[in-house]
Amino acid sequence: MSRMATRQWMVTHEWMVKPMHQREWIERRGIMIWIAETFTSLGAGLYLVSLFIGSWWGLLVGWLIIMFLKLPIHIAYFGKPWRFYRTMPPFSNAWKTSWFARGILFSVFFVSFAFVQLVFGQPDIARLVGHAISDPLYYIFGVLAGINALGVGIYGGFIMKYVKGIPFWNQGLLPVVIMLAGVADGFGLAMAVGLAGGDASIAWAETGSRYLLLINVLLIVTYLISAGYTSAVAKLSIRELLKGPSAFMFWGGLVVLGLAVPAVISIIGLVGAEVSDILLIIAVVSHTIGAFALKYCILKVGIYRPLLPRVAAY
Amino acid sequence: MRWGMVINLAKCTRCHACIAACRIEHFLPLGMTWPRLIAYETDIPGQELTTLPVRCNQCKEAPCVEVCPAEATKKRPDGIVYVDNNKCVGCRYCVVVCPYQNRTFFSRDKDPGFFPGHERTRFEKAGRKLYPHVSGTTEKCDFCMERIDAGMAKGLVPGKDREATPACVNTCQARALTFGDLDDPNSEVSKLIREKNAFQLHPEYGTEPSVYYIDSKIGNAPSNVAPRAAQTASHMQHLSTMEARAREIFKKK
Repeated sequence: MSRMATRQWMVTHEWMVKPMHQREWIERRGIMIWIAETFTSLGAGLYLVSLFIGSWWGLLVGWLIIMFLKLPIHIAYFGKPWRFYRTMPPFSNAWKTSWFARGILFSVFFVSFAFVQLVFGQPDIARLVGHAISDPLYYIFGVLAGINALGVGIYGGFIMKYVKGIPFWNQGLLPVVIMLAGVADGFGLAMAVGLAGGDASIAWAETGSRYLLLINVLLIVTYLISAGYTSAVAKLSIRELLKGPSAFMFWGGLVVLGLAVPAVISIIGLVGAEVSDILLIIAVVSHTIGAFALKYCILKVGIYRPLLPRVAAY
Repeated sequence: MRWGMVINLAKCTRCHACIAACRIEHFLPLGMTWPRLIAYETDIPGQELTTLPVRCNQCKEAPCVEVCPAEATKKRPDGIVYVDNNKCVGCRYCVVVCPYQNRTFFSRDKDPGFFPGHERTRFEKAGRKLYPHVSGTTEKCDFCMERIDAGMAKGLVPGKDREATPACVNTCQARALTFGDLDDPNSEVSKLIREKNAFQLHPEYGTEPSVYYIDSKIGNAPSNVAPRAAQTASHMQHLSTMEARAREIFKKK
């Protein structure tokens, strides 16, 4: 067999010995994971922020995002969606070892506790049952829902961190980056709730967003620098982010829209000038696009170490 | 007892017989391949393109077992990691987490039938009764655990007796694949690992794979040219044992 023919014959699996992208969670149906993960951050972030600033409408929107966007999209991604119950006790005790199973449990507990909190936080219902009963329940379930919202917001980071074959993900800082980015975007959405006439304080949301943006910039820079030191494949991921096929999403989506635009609008508010509603809407939209861009970038540049340790210095 | 495999890269002739044997043994759909022969380029003159046979490493500390949210991926006491397709939810976390990329998500488009656009053949239908590949779940090599179990029930020894040995090992005409008990220091696999300095892929992950490799210079051995007759003979030999086994199973049903 000639060399050319051999090459054609064998080309199928050649990719496995080169650093290659993970595809399951970003291409074809994998796009659903990207969208679901983004809604996870947005919903959990908004819920936590709303607990902090005491916005019932924010809590409701956060709960709706998790309940009707994150969970259905995530479950629809499964090859066997109707078997999703098998991921939970008593059918499975995988939560002991699997962050995926833990995440599903966090989500289920979150939607349940948050629902009770929302019910007893609703003014008419609170009046009906009496504040002596509804207030303690509101706070108790608020704490429970908050703890689980934290779990929902952070488990995606742990899932990716556990993947040893993808050095860019296998970083201890990843869950923190994902969690705090979610909270920052939660502040962005809280602004939207305030703008839409909800009970969220726009001023609070703006202040929180300002600090979180600064922290996120530092975290992302630290993450990229520390990941770059771990392996050549992680460096390759970073190169792809900065000047490869994902650079448009990184610079345009994450840096400009997700970080710079909200930061500039926030600074306008800080120096005393009044921020118009249009600018606030731009900030909210930018924040949200930034949230999608961050998850896209992380998932897209997940590159595996090649199988063969000896053929290359990966 | 922990089943393991040693692959001698110097002996592998890249004939693809192991892949064919697995396909026949498990009636694999066309888009699905459990063991794979991956090709890569080297800078060795005359050996610019060479191959490495890979399959599920049946890791002792298997990350796929730990992450499976439905406990569909399990590890048996003999070290074999397998997927229970009746439990798998198809989340694909195991596919992503496997550092060796040896798991495949079985989607409908990977199953066009042996003759796309036509009804399944009787052979395919019979195969599906034996191995009902469930679309929407994950699949991988399981060291032919059915053969091992059936063989051991008859008192046979996997790795020594053909009937209790994985199909790929039986088929390998160059005898590049050796199967046996890693926990037995006197087994052939243990001896090979000891004497030939066998290595695992990415031991730094701490997964402790049960598949070892012997490498003189990866794939650069004179035995790389295999006589075609030998390949054909080994295929035929495997096919004949398969047919007998299928007949036996159908008779029981």
